[in-house]
Amino acid sequence: MYKYIFKRLLSLIPILIGISFISFALIYFTGGDAVAVRYEAIGGVLSPELISQKREELGLNRPFIIQYIDWLLGVLKGDMGISYVSGKPVFIYILSKLPNTLLLSATSLIVTILISLPLGILSAIKSDGIFDHIIKTVSFIGNSLPNFFVALVLSYILALRLKLLPVISQGTGIKSLILPTLTLSLAMSAKYIRQIRALVISELSKPYVIGARARGIKENTIIFFNVLRLTSLTIITLMALSFGSLLGGSAIVENIFMWDGIGKLAIESINLRDYPVILAYVLWMAFIYVFVNLLADISYYFLDPRLRLGGKNEK
Amino acid sequence: MKKQMKLLSVAIIGTLLLGACSTPQKSAQSKDESAVSKEDSVKSLVYGTSSYGVGMSDAGLNPHEDYSGWSLVRYGVGETLFKLNDKLELTPWLADSYKFIDDNTLEVKIKDNINFSSGRKLDATAAKECFEDLLAVHDRAPKDMKISEIKADGQTLTFITTEPNPALINFLAEPYSALIDMKTGVDANKNVSGTGPYKATSVSDTEIDLTSRDDYWDGNVAKTNIKVKSVTDGDTLTMGLQSGELDAVYGLPYASYPLFENDNYNINSAATSRAFFLQLNFDNDLFQDKNIRSAIAMAIDKDGFVNVLLGGHGKVANGPFPMQDGDSLNYSFSPDKSKELLGAAGWSDSDNDGYVDKDGKNFEINFLTYPGRSELPVLAQSIQSNLKDIGIKVNINSTENYLEVMKDSKAWDILASAMVTNPTGNKEYFFDMTSLSDSPKNRGHYSNAELDELAKTLSTTFDPDKRDELAKQMSDILVDDCGFIFVSHLQMSLVSKKNIKGLTPMPSDYYEFSKDLVIE
Repeated sequence: MYKYIFKRLLSLIPILIGISFISFALIYFTGGDAVAVRYEAIGGVLSPELISQKREELGLNRPFIIQYIDWLLGVLKGDMGISYVSGKPVFIYILSKLPNTLLLSATSLIVTILISLPLGILSAIKSDGIFDHIIKTVSFIGNSLPNFFVALVLSYILALRLKLLPVISQGTGIKSLILPTLTLSLAMSAKYIRQIRALVISELSKPYVIGARARGIKENTIIFFNVLRLTSLTIITLMALSFGSLLGGSAIVENIFMWDGIGKLAIESINLRDYPVILAYVLWMAFIYVFVNLLADISYYFLDPRLRLGGKNEK
Repeated sequence: MKKQMKLLSVAIIGTLLLGACSTPQKSAQSKDESAVSKEDSVKSLVYGTSSYGVGMSDAGLNPHEDYSGWSLVRYGVGETLFKLNDKLELTPWLADSYKFIDDNTLEVKIKDNINFSSGRKLDATAAKECFEDLLAVHDRAPKDMKISEIKADGQTLTFITTEPNPALINFLAEPYSALIDMKTGVDANKNVSGTGPYKATSVSDTEIDLTSRDDYWDGNVAKTNIKVKSVTDGDTLTMGLQSGELDAVYGLPYASYPLFENDNYNINSAATSRAFFLQLNFDNDLFQDKNIRSAIAMAIDKDGFVNVLLGGHGKVANGPFPMQDGDSLNYSFSPDKSKELLGAAGWSDSDNDGYVDKDGKNFEINFLTYPGRSELPVLAQSIQSNLKDIGIKVNINSTENYLEVMKDSKAWDILASAMVTNPTGNKEYFFDMTSLSDSPKNRGHYSNAELDELAKTLSTTFDPDKRDELAKQMSDILVDDCGFIFVSHLQMSLVSKKNIKGLTPMPSDYYEFSKDLVIE
């Protein structure tokens, strides 16, 4: 097991180098002049001499490969450069936004599980009944609605009409957390309810369930101790992918609720061609996707005895 | 088992509901109560703005960094030696008087009764320290100001320039010239001590907390605590004001104004010098013909754009500067006259396909703009429709990557952009930046020898009246030549609850909070 984890962690290195190289190249060859774009974006004007001087200061006049190697060596030493826009060290800058994004990701995932797991299972058990049809219709609508629309509707109802919650985030208190969490969770739940329903229905038709029922085992016991356990592998994989995506920040939701997280930072950095921050963001995304999926794989080992025993039986 | 599951479900749902509603409400309520009991005489204001933050390059209050000086002056923490009035004319502010001793020497007398919020007196030495730091670290100031030496004597500050620079006093009104106490300096959060009616108690990239000063030099300031919040999404800004979380806002979407056009709110507006205008690409032979340029200028329904598409929240532009109403009205909207001019240039719809043609080729142009300012894509569509009416086909390319697109001169024919044409009361700035043969923002390579010559004269003219007259001549040439077509000026509007008085926008876009701000 430990050897497996070590191997997976080692495989992170070429992945991260590959991704960083491709991102760096894409930004270098298609991104436009970082200095000119930034001053244009804020309506300012720099003379050609000043633009050249700024490029020199930022090291942008050097050949592509030198810039990349220099950047990579810096990253290996924990130095991801300085943000062109804020002037802050990129690592610290991103780190400062991380707690907000982690908090929002965690709460969104928890609420998603709390909504989609019971509804998905109920929908499967009551398959083709009225409850199932209602859930299917609601999740279909939920899947069709874009995040920004859900955010605005929730704000309108919960904040503007009922005055229960603030429209604009006021720090990271629970009151400010509810609207962005609900927005993200509702969209994800709509997707997961259908997936969980399909998984449970498929599992319920398997011979072991029929056998268990024939032996008189209670339906709840079959569902919670057999069906749910087996479907959990797929659910965990899906949740891991969603968690990875959430950790990359949800730019639209963060922007609407003024939640100061990584997604908002990424959009601002892209608009202002803040390349060091964009690169750090891409690296972060690559890292969390690989890492979260590794955690999902490790969880299979504990959840599915076949994975633990499979190797021994073959011997 | 079933019972246990039910109990567990009830417990989870109950905890979530309690967590969601009861606890935070209670804590917020108790916090509010304690705030009121402690400081019942101090009024509070929460101000939402789309114009503050890292994305706008004005986060923090350090005037010597990027555009943060704009925040310093906008929110009443810092002040400059000169300020721009509602006609965009310079008037002394921290300065008492000024005099050009010779072409290279400007002497400014600073008022004698001014203290920084740190308590230090503002004298020429304090101002000199501030300007020296500005010139050492700022990217634009040294080139703008051309200062070689600064002398301080009591309240008299003397600037010596490397070459004649009549616009120096204008740059002393630029927010980067706001005076701060360099002894207290700039703290880690980019907070400073200024001379304005407010001092900042906390500064971050997304919020600034301000409190009124008791020792302000220019009169009493109503006891007020202000929180400036960066809100980048227009709908959030709208709902924030509707819900009462925000008391005043800047940057509402045009579509939201009707919600606040009632007795519960104040909407104060001013036309700014931010102009939306077109530059024609003179590398395209088509635009060498003045009939074509004039035809395009007269086909654009500026009034419809401002009054219908912007809901009246703008001002029709007849030149680069908003205060030149009626000066250049040679090209008023007339599609019939446009068609005549196209005919005179040899373009007519010979094949009846709705587009004019010449030598078997339809009149088709590529219109470039960017979505960074929401008005521009709307303007592009409006002009597309206007030009179709006179038989010109317009292909719109609205992209943030427009600088890259422009590198290929054949990829675009007209650029629609926005620019503050008169940021410091110095009209020379606009011509220098955009319309002279060697201007850095002369995208279409427009060239006019007469304009270049007048610009040389303007750059060495010190008399303000003569400078104004020269700028007017240049503006008329530019408009009459149709190399640039000015469509509208941005109207800056501050929307606030009815009980807030004195929140008045100015055409220069620099001043938002002043000592006159009162919450009734």
